[in-house]
Amino acid sequence: MSPAADTAATATARPAGGSRLDRVPPRLLSSAVGIAVLLLWELLARTVYAGSYRLSPPTAVVVEFFEFRGLYLRNLWHSTKTAAWGFLWGNLAAMALAVTATLVPWLRRSIGAVVLTVFCLPFIAIAPILRLITGPGNATPIALSALAVVFTTYVAALLGFDLAPGSALDVIRSYGRGRLTAFRNVRVRASVPALFAGLQIAAPAAFLGAVVGEFTGAHRGLGILTVRALGALQTDRIWVIAVMSTIVATGGYLAIGALGRYLCPWSPALDVGAVPVPRIEPGLLNRLAGLAAPIAVVFVFWYAFLWVFGIEPFFAKTPVDVWAELFSVSEAPETRSIIFGALGTTMWTTSLGYVVGLVGALASALVFILVPWLERALMPIAVALRSIPIIVTTPVIILFVGRGLLTTTAIVAVMSFFPTLVNCYTAMTRTPEGILDVLKSYDATSAASVRNAYLPTSVPALLASARIAVPTSLLGATVAEWLATGDGIGAVMVTAFTRNDFKILWVSVAVLTIVAVIGYWLVAAFELRTLERMAPGTSR
Amino acid sequence: MARRGAPVDVVGVGRTFALAGDEVSALRGLDMHVPAGGFTALIGPSGCGKSTALRLVAGLDTPDEGTIDSGGASPDEMRRGQRIGVAFQDPSLLPWRTVTTNIRLALELVGRRHDTKAVDELVELVGLQGFEKARPSQLSGGMRQRVAIARSLVTNPDLLLLDEPFGALDALTRQQLNDELQRIWSARGTTTILVTHSIPEAVYVADEVLVMSPRPGRIVARHTIGFERPRTRELLLTDRFHAEVEAVSASLHRSEGQVVQLDTDPG
Repeated sequence: MSPAADTAATATARPAGGSRLDRVPPRLLSSAVGIAVLLLWELLARTVYAGSYRLSPPTAVVVEFFEFRGLYLRNLWHSTKTAAWGFLWGNLAAMALAVTATLVPWLRRSIGAVVLTVFCLPFIAIAPILRLITGPGNATPIALSALAVVFTTYVAALLGFDLAPGSALDVIRSYGRGRLTAFRNVRVRASVPALFAGLQIAAPAAFLGAVVGEFTGAHRGLGILTVRALGALQTDRIWVIAVMSTIVATGGYLAIGALGRYLCPWSPALDVGAVPVPRIEPGLLNRLAGLAAPIAVVFVFWYAFLWVFGIEPFFAKTPVDVWAELFSVSEAPETRSIIFGALGTTMWTTSLGYVVGLVGALASALVFILVPWLERALMPIAVALRSIPIIVTTPVIILFVGRGLLTTTAIVAVMSFFPTLVNCYTAMTRTPEGILDVLKSYDATSAASVRNAYLPTSVPALLASARIAVPTSLLGATVAEWLATGDGIGAVMVTAFTRNDFKILWVSVAVLTIVAVIGYWLVAAFELRTLERMAPGTSR
Repeated sequence: MARRGAPVDVVGVGRTFALAGDEVSALRGLDMHVPAGGFTALIGPSGCGKSTALRLVAGLDTPDEGTIDSGGASPDEMRRGQRIGVAFQDPSLLPWRTVTTNIRLALELVGRRHDTKAVDELVELVGLQGFEKARPSQLSGGMRQRVAIARSLVTNPDLLLLDEPFGALDALTRQQLNDELQRIWSARGTTTILVTHSIPEAVYVADEVLVMSPRPGRIVARHTIGFERPRTRELLLTDRFHAEVEAVSASLHRSEGQVVQLDTDPG
């Protein structure tokens, strides 16, 4: 197609919106919306929410910041440094794992299982356990920060290595060279765009890890500052911290994105959030091996962790100990009722938020596709919010919503909403233009276009987002419960933490991790089946 | 033979695109006439605006100047009246639908979802019996293109617009589909405009071949192809076929060499 014809095709990529707002420059539109939001925020805080300790007006946030800027900047610098170290170590580990998984294919599934398990850990509860090893210093926040980036960077790097063109790999093989040469000459270069897409997501994630690590008893940093402010109901302070965290995390996200575009300008934008799961080979034996090997590897890591760091038996619990606590010792029934009762509450509030977030995101993406000026006004804000580690803003949501069960639901909904919205919308904009032209040539209604084009094309992105949202939702829920609500398994863990009850802590961590992994795999199985049914042979 | 379909009259049509801050004129002073039930092929150098012209006739885009009329209806009215069928170089099938349901999509969009007879007829017409339940990913390129053609025909449109539908196929499959296209057109008599890069293809299937100039595109030559129908592959080997191909080829080369050429009619 000629360049001119290409332009014509772009012009019809969306249903023709007759609105005059379509001609307003996007930057102007989104800035106007941003200013309107700030004004509304100020107005609400000064009137409806005045004296309620829920919402600080933007002006008060600015005043508070300048009044105590020494305190804020000191702690911000501390947390940022922590996040930077975590970012470094976590990404190095993730890349080493991805290289190993690519060069030694039979290790791939086991490495994947370990990385997924790490991703599913309830970070807030493992901080006290890590602290046993690292002592009171800054090492626990750094370790958590590192753990928080391993999954996304691993997935991105692996995707990058796999994106290497098969024909180029064949050329290397035709000269009689092996995997290592192919890796050095082709895969490393091919992986750069995907890797940067992963690092971009890792930047806010590292910040999240650092702050969550500081929630549970650091001496410095934004995390502990938040916890103290929550206790003293210093509303302005909590808002200042949330705004600063947002700016720093988004800054990291944007900076790495810009660096990636500078280093590989030829590459199209890659979406690591929507990577499909690898398919398990059919056959009962393959399936069993596919399940058993990773579980075994995770248990080996668990024992190795306890052994390497030589943790005292009072603190260290092996898988056998956890099993005994739940099923064989005399207090087991009591433990079970505490843990599973609380888990039920957590699951209920979390699932509600999860479903609300996903459905809301899909509906919003469809509205954005059908009403272009609305998309141009609000999407930049959604993209910015997506990069924020929502958990860091949990205290703000706690202030605003209160400390009830709904808080957990609200946080989970917000956490799953933004990434899903951006992923689904991006997928919808990639609907092949030919299909849209065919629909338009029959003067198809918006409903018919949604049903036949936009909705089906966004299904893979929706399912991938839903899968990733399982562990992140549980993480958000446990943080909310730990910090505020006093309900659910998060509250059980914080009680155990304050009483030094490491048995309950380990059992909770193990149960939560298993729930997250199972949830992840249930969604993954559904995802594979759906994609295979929708378009056989197109899923990987 | 009973002829049906809408005529197409394009008068003085121009279309300009904004491209990276520049104004690119894709078409200027485009005039063409396709009689009702006629089969016209549009040929020209790469980037001459053939596809743009077809999109304008389909009502997928609007001209900056000039008029397009189909027996009293504008392209937009034709499109809204659901009287157009289109097929592009990319078959643009829905990957989650089968052969049957992909063809049925067009019927669903015009509110005739339950017309299973029309679908069965088209499946047979394009020779896809036995593949009704197959998904696009399980079909060859030629088969996918047949589905796209069947979809464009199933609503019985008054105007069939084909934008290089066989451009990505191998020569053998292409010839086969040209035979079928000719057969379908002869059976249905729908007004057809085919955009193509291939001179022999244009000469083989069309009543009339229009040659376009490089950008900004306009018609610089018109060749009436008088071969009797049905045309068979033996025609491809005859001297008169070669002569016609040569003639179109000469116009095309002349058009590539110079933009400022008056309408000629070497035929």
